[in-house]
Amino acid sequence: MIEFREVRKSFGEREILKGITFSVPEGQILFILGTSGTGKSVLLKNIVGLLQPTSGAILIDEVDVSQLKEEQLFPIRKKCGMVFQHPALFDSLSVFENVAFGLRKHSPELTEKEVQARVRECLSLVHLIDVEDKMPQEISYGMQKRVSLARTVAVSPRILLFDEPTTGLDPVTTRAINRLIFELSRKLKTTSLVVSHDMQCALEIADHIIVLDKGEIVDQGSPEGLKKSRHELTKDFLKEALDAEGAH
Amino acid sequence: MLKALTDILDDIGACILFVREVVRTAWRSPCTLESVCEQIWKVTLQSLPAPAMAGFFVGAIMTVQFTMQIKAFGALGYLGGLSTSGTVREVGPLLIAFLLSGKVGAFTSAELGTMRVTEQIDAIRCLGANPIQEIILPRFLGIIVSSFFLLAAGLFMSIFGGLLMGALFSGINPDEYLRHIPTIVSFFSIGNGLFKCLVFALILAAVCTYKGFTATGGAKGVGRAVVSTAVLTMVGIVVADWFTSLLSETALDMFWGGV
Repeated sequence: MIEFREVRKSFGEREILKGITFSVPEGQILFILGTSGTGKSVLLKNIVGLLQPTSGAILIDEVDVSQLKEEQLFPIRKKCGMVFQHPALFDSLSVFENVAFGLRKHSPELTEKEVQARVRECLSLVHLIDVEDKMPQEISYGMQKRVSLARTVAVSPRILLFDEPTTGLDPVTTRAINRLIFELSRKLKTTSLVVSHDMQCALEIADHIIVLDKGEIVDQGSPEGLKKSRHELTKDFLKEALDAEGAH
Repeated sequence: MLKALTDILDDIGACILFVREVVRTAWRSPCTLESVCEQIWKVTLQSLPAPAMAGFFVGAIMTVQFTMQIKAFGALGYLGGLSTSGTVREVGPLLIAFLLSGKVGAFTSAELGTMRVTEQIDAIRCLGANPIQEIILPRFLGIIVSSFFLLAAGLFMSIFGGLLMGALFSGINPDEYLRHIPTIVSFFSIGNGLFKCLVFALILAAVCTYKGFTATGGAKGVGRAVVSTAVLTMVGIVVADWFTSLLSETALDMFWGGV
């Protein structure tokens, strides 16, 4: 369903992605792990056209989206919902208006009643009630992340992209968000790409894991397979995950 | 030195291209009138006291300065006309525009810059909307309309400042002060002042939306965007002031024979 073919991305002289090739079958949860600055977020932003690769192809349902113009990306963005590292909620709009924003753009035929019903449904999917009238700054950071998730799933995307969804969250909220990602992906039958540096979470919910280092894929496999990896970076990640688990 | 110059030219070019994109969006897919009115209301309410007060004092300062100059010639009766003419044609629009660049320009640039670095603008794109149409166009038009209105209101207030200072400092009665305003301040002067206000408002709207929209690099980047908005708008306003003065003098010579 999603396929990367030799994707390269440079900013000036600096090459961030160095020939990335992988594919994600429909309905799977793929985790892309890597340390900071390895190009994980860049990789994700290339899928929805927020960035364009320098070379290579990105196929979504057999359509190369890598060189599409802004207006041609509209149907792709309807297909791919992205949850950003920051909650990225619109400060001047209430929680309700935030969740309804994409819905009104993508489905202008919906009546106000249908929009209201869909917003409530999405908020309950992320376990939020009675927050519709609140402004983003009136709710906690963890709740903002969940609203952001609700806003993304409101337009019923078939692909969910998560850019470090648990960064800056406490361990309890991190677990809650991870559980949500898993629940939503299974319940909505979406294909999910999660960019993260949380190996513990990847081992719990991923179908497949890719380890990225300096713009290259250095290791990949199923959670079980990766546990036996001999690659240094993967071993470091696994050690961190085991330490964290031990701490709990 | 050469690199700094090319960077500035690069920035100006990018700003012009950005304005072209805004105009193109306005033509192809305009924003709602409601969103523009909301911005006009917000900017005007937020900023009205500052230009009104600045205008009042600019008028007062000009009156004090002119009093010292023309008292020696015994032409104090012309104080109102001269002071108002100088304020409306030149000093008023310039100083009030400077003030607005600090208030409206910095605020808008910081607001948009924060939206950029917290990925709100990317989120708008991902949700299938055009950020130029959704957030730039309403602000761009709102700033032009309200800055023009605020500048005009500031100029109006400058007459009162001059009038008060004329009575208190120069000892000229208000009737006498007002009597010579129509003699010296022609419709052309008022039109010239308002034209300058419009040009300054355009520069302000273009620079602050461009700088905010293209901010990068977290909180530091937003700070940089705000600073360069303030510097660029002020330089732009001074250059535009020179250009519009030249233009209006030429027009005056051509059509009214330098009256």
